[in-house]
Amino acid sequence: MRDDETRAGAYAEAPSPRPAPKMVEAFDHAAGSLARHVPGGATGFRGVLLHIHVAPAASYEMEELAEAECVAGRGIVGDRYHVGTGTYSPKPDTREVTLIEQEALDALSRNDPPLQRGPIALAPGDHRRNLTVRGVPLNHLVGRRFRVGEVILRGGRLNFPCKYLEELLGLPVYLPLYNRSGLNCGIERGGVIRPGDGIELLNDVPA
Amino acid sequence: MTARVVMKLKVVAARFSTPNVLHLRLVHPLRPELPPWEPGAHVDLRLPDGKIRQYSLCGDPDDLSAYEIAVKREDAGRGASIWAHQTLKPGAIAHVSAPRSNFAIQKASRHIFVVGGIGVTPALPMARRLAAEGADVLVHFCARSKAEAPLLADLREACGPRLRTWFTADGRRFSVSELEDYVEGACLYVCGPPRLLKAVQDAATARGWPEARLRSEAFQATLDENFKPEPFDATLASTGKTLHVPADRSLLEVLRDHGIVMPSSCELGVCGSCVCGYTEGVVIHRDAAIPVAERQHRIAPCVSRARVSVTLDL
Repeated sequence: MRDDETRAGAYAEAPSPRPAPKMVEAFDHAAGSLARHVPGGATGFRGVLLHIHVAPAASYEMEELAEAECVAGRGIVGDRYHVGTGTYSPKPDTREVTLIEQEALDALSRNDPPLQRGPIALAPGDHRRNLTVRGVPLNHLVGRRFRVGEVILRGGRLNFPCKYLEELLGLPVYLPLYNRSGLNCGIERGGVIRPGDGIELLNDVPA
Repeated sequence: MTARVVMKLKVVAARFSTPNVLHLRLVHPLRPELPPWEPGAHVDLRLPDGKIRQYSLCGDPDDLSAYEIAVKREDAGRGASIWAHQTLKPGAIAHVSAPRSNFAIQKASRHIFVVGGIGVTPALPMARRLAAEGADVLVHFCARSKAEAPLLADLREACGPRLRTWFTADGRRFSVSELEDYVEGACLYVCGPPRLLKAVQDAATARGWPEARLRSEAFQATLDENFKPEPFDATLASTGKTLHVPADRSLLEVLRDHGIVMPSSCELGVCGSCVCGYTEGVVIHRDAAIPVAERQHRIAPCVSRARVSVTLDL
């Protein structure tokens, strides 16, 4: 009880109201808008959501959530890109939700490919992406719609590793994450997601 | 310099080391181990209003289960210490960055520390490490009185006979005449208020100490009330783009306006987070982070400026 009071008095969890950060709608993004009209890619997969992480502000450690509210056009409630306090928030882009493949993290932990001295073990959330998924070919989903539980996401562009992450972690993750750093998405239909939710491809909607 | 992750740490112990110095022990609620650090390192404490203050880690770098910091209450300060004293009780959460080091043990045959008051915080783990390694170390610790000397018992335990205390209340005031002449291979570390730093630096220079063997830690950049900022232009080496920095804005702010996201922390010229390289121009250095030897090619854009123009290695 006292603990909570002290905490609330120390740091307000909800920052003062600020205008919604500028987001680029996923299918308006230079990458997503082009990819949308190019057929191909994996279909019929059935993946699963493993972890949900958010960070309250730039540089803050990611915190794992047992469920998360996704807001269409905005982001995950409690995340820095929903609030507009992310490192890259001043640059309008598609980053309402970011995803990464557990398979890519597994490869890093096996040092595959051996681009650095040895295996890199990233603790959950250290990659700073919001959703860790298994069985979802994220690189195929630029310009595609897919479902995570009740929420519908749109792939806007491939995520790109940043030197900032490397600095933050003190680990050489830039090169090994190249081309498997995940996917930046927009939220078409909001809702609540939980680890264990199924992930599957949806048909495109007419533009 | 590098960006560092910010963690929400829990206060597990808060005790007064002196009547106005609060000694805190902080643990991570989920991780058994905190990021490692070297003696002399500091962390950022983030305040609810977004301000950031630096505090040296004063605990044991071999014990990664907790960080320890000591916060001196500065009634005439900018409010951070008062907030910490009022808020950081056992059970409270403090937003703390991973450590960074601008002040590290140097390779030396003899290590001399001149420490004033709360400046003891970085010196304690450094002296403890050196003493444990059997290095030749001598610590001068200056304070108003024994009761007002923070972490005195810890420093005494670490240093034993290698500690010399100077308490003005006892009629023992440290004098720069205590400083010895420079001998090849020695290193002099100074940590304390700007006045002590300046006095020791001047005396050391007079006694033949070269710049490179003089290390200091300041948690307040040079204050020069007569400084009049002038506008200047900054050119980015990578693109050739030139940005105008008006007199009332910092170079860091202008870079940020143009989408060049620099890590930054204190924005006072102390922490060194935003330091970047420059290749041409006359820089007016106003920070306390960049050693003199590196001032020909590094600039702290939060406080430093240039005469007319500068080319940044960005």
